[in-house]
Amino acid sequence: MMTRSLPLIGLFVLGLAGLAAMTAAQEDDLASVSAALAPRAEGLIIARCSVCHSPDLVSQQRLPKDRWAATVDKMKHWGAEIADDEADLLVRYLSARYHPAAPDHLPTLDHELRKAEPLTQEPADTGPLVGVSTRGAGIFEHNCQACHGAGATGGMGPKLAKNPILKQDDLFWETVLHGRGPMPAWGSVLSQQDIADVHTWLLTK
Amino acid sequence: MSESLSLSRRTLWQRMAQILGGLAVWHQVRPAPAEQTASPETGPQTVRVMRPYDAETPVREFTSYLTPNHRFFVRSHFGPPAPELIAAANWRLHVGGLIEHPLELTLKDLKEFEQVTITAVVQCSGNGRAFHRPKVPGVQWERGAVGNAQWTGVRLRDVLAKAGVRPNGKHVQLQGADRPVVSSVPLFTRSIPLEKAVHPDTILAYDMNGRPLPLLHGAPLRVITPGWMADSCTKWLTDITVQADEAKGYYMQTAYRVPVTAIQPNSGLPGTSMVPVEAMVVKSLIALPANGDQVGRGPVTVQGVAWSGDAAVATVELSFDDGKTWEQARLVGEDEPYAWRQWQFLWRPKTAGAVTILCRATDANGQVQPQESPWNPGGFLWNGWDHVAITVAL
Ligand code: HEC
Ligand code: HEC
Repeated sequence: MMTRSLPLIGLFVLGLAGLAAMTAAQEDDLASVSAALAPRAEGLIIARCSVCHSPDLVSQQRLPKDRWAATVDKMKHWGAEIADDEADLLVRYLSARYHPAAPDHLPTLDHELRKAEPLTQEPADTGPLVGVSTRGAGIFEHNCQACHGAGATGGMGPKLAKNPILKQDDLFWETVLHGRGPMPAWGSVLSQQDIADVHTWLLTK
Repeated sequence: MSESLSLSRRTLWQRMAQILGGLAVWHQVRPAPAEQTASPETGPQTVRVMRPYDAETPVREFTSYLTPNHRFFVRSHFGPPAPELIAAANWRLHVGGLIEHPLELTLKDLKEFEQVTITAVVQCSGNGRAFHRPKVPGVQWERGAVGNAQWTGVRLRDVLAKAGVRPNGKHVQLQGADRPVVSSVPLFTRSIPLEKAVHPDTILAYDMNGRPLPLLHGAPLRVITPGWMADSCTKWLTDITVQADEAKGYYMQTAYRVPVTAIQPNSGLPGTSMVPVEAMVVKSLIALPANGDQVGRGPVTVQGVAWSGDAAVATVELSFDDGKTWEQARLVGEDEPYAWRQWQFLWRPKTAGAVTILCRATDANGQVQPQESPWNPGGFLWNGWDHVAITVAL
């Protein structure tokens, strides 16, 4: 009974929990695992891993799962902002796509990534989001500070404190959700509430 | 006057920073479909990592004795430091630790010491990492994380003599101005034993191939440890600290170490002790023809370079039959202690079809370039036979 219902539950649970319950047959099929995890994992690699180095340092490796786990663990130890479940997902994705037998030149991910779903789909009719500045400070510190500097005073990315873009809602949201050049896209990493919180906090700077 | 100078310098820095940081990131933070089109053999530099910028020299450049600065391989852990930190007005070299007289030197002060010029190979310890099997994590360097340049500067021993090393000083710690973007990442702190530091050929270089050291190569000052791998050649040098022990920290105690005795691949971290990567091992490269080239009846000039750590290159041999027979190449050109040696071979292909040319060097100590290097968890010191695959059309 129990064993039969497990894969079924997997089909119905969305997001991380669902991926964790992937069946053994799917596990064997590395390509399908990597395709399934790609949108979320690639989002994490761009948002969390490329703070310190470009993602090509990640994609040029061809490693077995234990070496990937050790690498992600090392990065976490060094300051990569990833939760345990995110680290777990990354290791599963990285060891499925960039395993020792994978070819040197993998097909690009652009196509798969375009299908990336936002992490949380807020219903459109809940009215404008109200940002919470105190929450925003923490979200900024974990996600934006490495590039935009403490207090949003600028670093590798431009100064955001008093930046006119803060007053142009559409442009701000467009930039943060979808990224621009070196600026990562946050649409599949942060919730809209998170972004509203950061926005509100930035306006106080 | 000095204002306008510093202004223009700043604009220059800014432009460089934009190119290095901004543009680099621009291309790479998002997966770029075109990123894999440049062939390692033909691009101006083969980029391995966009940020921090790591790039190797296409091997065909190694037909010249000196590797030009703009083609010379680039490697650092965190990229160049913020321009203010190394601007002439702010930059100082500090000498401290177990010494009698702490020093704080400007570049001008430093140039008061006797000037020396040494031609030396500088090679990344991970050059060839991509060839180790099983694969190991790290920048996947192939053949070109190496170059030969003329380095001008002052002897580290002269600077240390002025500071007066105390009897208990046994290691010299080297720290550059480069910093990780997140401070929880360990600094690239290295040390070399005192004997290497006071060797008359170990220098602090401010010129490279007769030009001021470029930013990417460690401006204004870097260490050159001739005969040793480049993990000792700290760039953007700001602090020299004489100590009783080896430097602490990740980049000395964990990274850049190899097992003393050969270990089984993937046996985890060995029970055998690990020692720092120091001297280079004997190695040769085929610069021409390049992989994929088509050659005719010939004679075809096969040429390249060979070098070793602390001995001269004795022979370079080529094989055109997968290592069954070897023929000796002719050593040509300059013959300087720490530089590489150029070699040539006139080849008259007899049969048409695909051929792999193999190359191996032997040094004056009898060290022979092996078919494959011993596996090690960091993927260091690769010196397996070099090979290029070409086609003969008669
Ligand atoms: C806090 C900074 C930082 C973050 C964030 C970070 N890394 Fe790294 N990573 C480093 C440094 C420093 C190195 C060593 C770079 C070098 O040697 O040039 C490195 C190297 C690597 C390497 C090369 C192998 C190695 O061990 O040197 C891989 C693969 C890697 N990182 C993956 C990741 C992944 C995946 C993430 C996201 C989970 C990540 N990194 C996030 C700092 C970071
Ligand atoms: C990996 C580095 C990096 C991270 C992390 C990052 N940014 Fe950026 N950001 C940049 C860069 C670089 C730019 C400039 C983009 C350009 O040149 O077009 C930028 C631009 C922006 C802009 C537009 C500024 C302007 O003047 O047009 C906004 C708004 C912004 N970032 C917000 C954020 C927020 C909010 C976060 C965190 C959720 C964040 N960024 C995280 C690098 C980063």
